[in-house]
Amino acid sequence: MPFTASPLVGGDAYEMAQRLALEADAELSALSEAGEQAACLRRHWDAIAGLGWMATMVAEDAGGAGGDLSDVAALACGAGRGGLPLPIATACVVTPALLAAASARDMLAQVAEGSARICLILPDAAQDPGAAGLRFDRTLEGGVVGVETPPDPTHLLLATAAGELLLLPVDSSGITQNLSLRIDGRLAADWHCAGVAVAPDQVLARGIADHVARARDLGALLTCIEGVSAMGAIIEQTIAFLSDRVQFNAPLASYQALRHRVAEMYVEYENLRGLVAHALREAAAADALPWRDIAFAKLRLGEAGRLVAHETIQMHGGMGLTEGVAAIRLARRVMMAEFEFGDRSFQASRLLAQAA
Amino acid sequence: MEVDYAAFRREVTEFARTRCPPEIRAVVATYRKLSRKIWQPWQQILHAHGWGAPSWPKRFGGTGWDPQQRHIFDEVMAENDCPPQYHHGLRHIGPVIIEFGTPEQQARFLPGILSGEDWWCQGYSEPGAGSDLASLRTAARREGDDYIVDGQKTWTSHAHESDWMYTLVRTAKEAKKQQGITMLLIPLDSPGITIRPIRTIDGWHHVNEVFLDKVRVPVANRIGEEGEGWTYGKFLLERERLGGANVAPALKNLERTRELVAQELTGETHRAKRAALELRLLLAEAELRGALALGKEAVAAVMEGRPLGLLPSVLKLSTSVTHQHVAEVAMDAVGERLAPRFRRIDGSGPNAEAPGIEWVQNYMYMRVRTIYGGSSEVQKNVIAKQLFGS
Ligand SMILES: Cc1cc2nc3c(=O)[nH]c(=O)nc-3n(C[C@H](O)[C@H](O)[C@H](O)COP(=O)(O)OP(=O)(O)OC[C@H]3O[C@@H](n4cnc5c(N)ncnc54)[C@H](O)[C@@H]3O)c2cc1C
Repeated sequence: MPFTASPLVGGDAYEMAQRLALEADAELSALSEAGEQAACLRRHWDAIAGLGWMATMVAEDAGGAGGDLSDVAALACGAGRGGLPLPIATACVVTPALLAAASARDMLAQVAEGSARICLILPDAAQDPGAAGLRFDRTLEGGVVGVETPPDPTHLLLATAAGELLLLPVDSSGITQNLSLRIDGRLAADWHCAGVAVAPDQVLARGIADHVARARDLGALLTCIEGVSAMGAIIEQTIAFLSDRVQFNAPLASYQALRHRVAEMYVEYENLRGLVAHALREAAAADALPWRDIAFAKLRLGEAGRLVAHETIQMHGGMGLTEGVAAIRLARRVMMAEFEFGDRSFQASRLLAQAA
Repeated sequence: MEVDYAAFRREVTEFARTRCPPEIRAVVATYRKLSRKIWQPWQQILHAHGWGAPSWPKRFGGTGWDPQQRHIFDEVMAENDCPPQYHHGLRHIGPVIIEFGTPEQQARFLPGILSGEDWWCQGYSEPGAGSDLASLRTAARREGDDYIVDGQKTWTSHAHESDWMYTLVRTAKEAKKQQGITMLLIPLDSPGITIRPIRTIDGWHHVNEVFLDKVRVPVANRIGEEGEGWTYGKFLLERERLGGANVAPALKNLERTRELVAQELTGETHRAKRAALELRLLLAEAELRGALALGKEAVAAVMEGRPLGLLPSVLKLSTSVTHQHVAEVAMDAVGERLAPRFRRIDGSGPNAEAPGIEWVQNYMYMRVRTIYGGSSEVQKNVIAKQLFGS
């Protein structure tokens, strides 16, 4: 029996999420226009909203399911195997955590039922060189680029470096948006603000920088969980490809050079899986989030993920350069994950600062 | 006659700087996709100057330069962001036609290649025949003065903008699969040909599937003897063995990436990341300097008629991987702001409104370096076989 990856968190929710992710992937890969893909993403967003994914971590008294981290982890595991191109970590964990920290109950309820589709902007969101970053001083000015977003965002949730949390409808006067698809097929938005007035009740909270840092780490953890799942699926699919493909009258799987490469991918995968499973256990058990474990896991995801992505491309030969192969779409997902919730350099800096 | 190589280098440099149009150099300098629209006018300029075919003998309109001069020419072009000459006509099929073509074929095909009027592509690979090219199955059977060709080629670069495809087809089933292969030159507007684009992860359109359904090809378009196509195909590949000796494009790439890192990661916030990426670039540079030195040795060997041995494989293996490392550094520098903006929602191509998106495309595309032109695994098999003597 060839290798099958076992999920970090299994169960019904995992199975359901996996099924949904694979369906979405099949539909999306049959579409070539970015606009059609965006419309398809909206349908799948509505589907997972209907299934209550975004309500998972929202407290029951705020209209949610009152679940815990392992419930969302199961969803992320399943979604990760199919590379579901929706912002699972942000929508199911990071945003609800910030709204809860700000006691924004009404908004939480809307998030839980899926009617509010929030684009979350974290403090050091990307900007183009030379362009003015987003600044809040009574009004909002400047811009950010490439921020992951749900389809048809309704609100912007902005966490400032000073620890404020602002919530604005995207149709507020002075806000313009520009949508793109990322390399992994998810949606991203560039936001530009010019003289955007912020009413006092749109400042949901102040002094919550600690919560923001914690929420980001939760996001990083969920990204690692998704990444591990994607990598497991990539290894399975690489083995299947090598077993089927014949060159020089023998299956590629019979060449030791390639078998060893798959073994190396597997070692990287297992190492990361162990680290992420540990971080998840610690996160579930401890009061304080184990940020060091998460930072190490995210650091490794960057290294191991890239190795696994590059290797699967290489071993697929020309097919590895095409979007038509599921393993290659997953590879792009893993490549993108490096840039979410702090890249290797971000994680390394905080680990080094702490050690100093 | 003694060649003054320093003077030659100055002459070529002067030409590159003054005669290559800035808009063409800008395409190369920003990694935008090179297409026939860019290449063709450049070839016309070179041709008008008498430099259309640096690697061809004079009697066919070539420059008659020696390998050292050709190497200098390629190097200077890369240093000055001039496009490398379109290879399929000039470097691949041209020399084959010169060596094995009939006088009629030479008169018919070489002038169009030289002037840049005719565009060629290579139809070798098939869905079932990649690394193991000799297992190709596209079949040609003789019918009077024609061959009837049936089958499928794939990964055919530039087929969508080419006039002609040189291809290897099977004309007989022999015990040894390298036998029974024939080389045909096929006009791409022949009835029965369908060209379909393949979507690649970098968002550029290079490769295609080419379907051949009862395509009639005159026997006059056959190169050499029926069944001897493998020999001509190998000749073609061997002519290219010095290609890896030109490390200039990789060095240029490195320099550009270094500028990117400096522009992208400014100030105190990015200090640590900048230093880390600069270190990776320095390590890549060290490798490239080694390759540069080896490249010079390879050119010298060819000049003196000594065998190249494993040098071409060594150069191909190491520079392709270094190219990839450099592209990864660029991706790490821009990934957070550009990888999310790959395609615009209202368009199907890459996002022209995200300045620098080519860095992301290039990172994806660079993965092909270790796959085409003899994959890394194939090169390692070649090297190991020689090292072990079996
Ligand atoms: C962008 C692009 C442009 C191209 N342009 C052209 C073109 O213009 N014309 C043309 O004819 N072709 C072209 N090719 C095809 C290219 O030459 C093939 O992709 C290449 O030969 C590899 O073949 P394959 O894709 O079938 O991979 P496979 O041969 O199936 O190889 C898959 C993997 O197995 C490895 N492998 C194979 N055999 C062995 C072995 N014995 N031991 C160990 N490992 C092994 C390979 O290295 C690779 O990693 C292009 C390809 C790409 C991606």
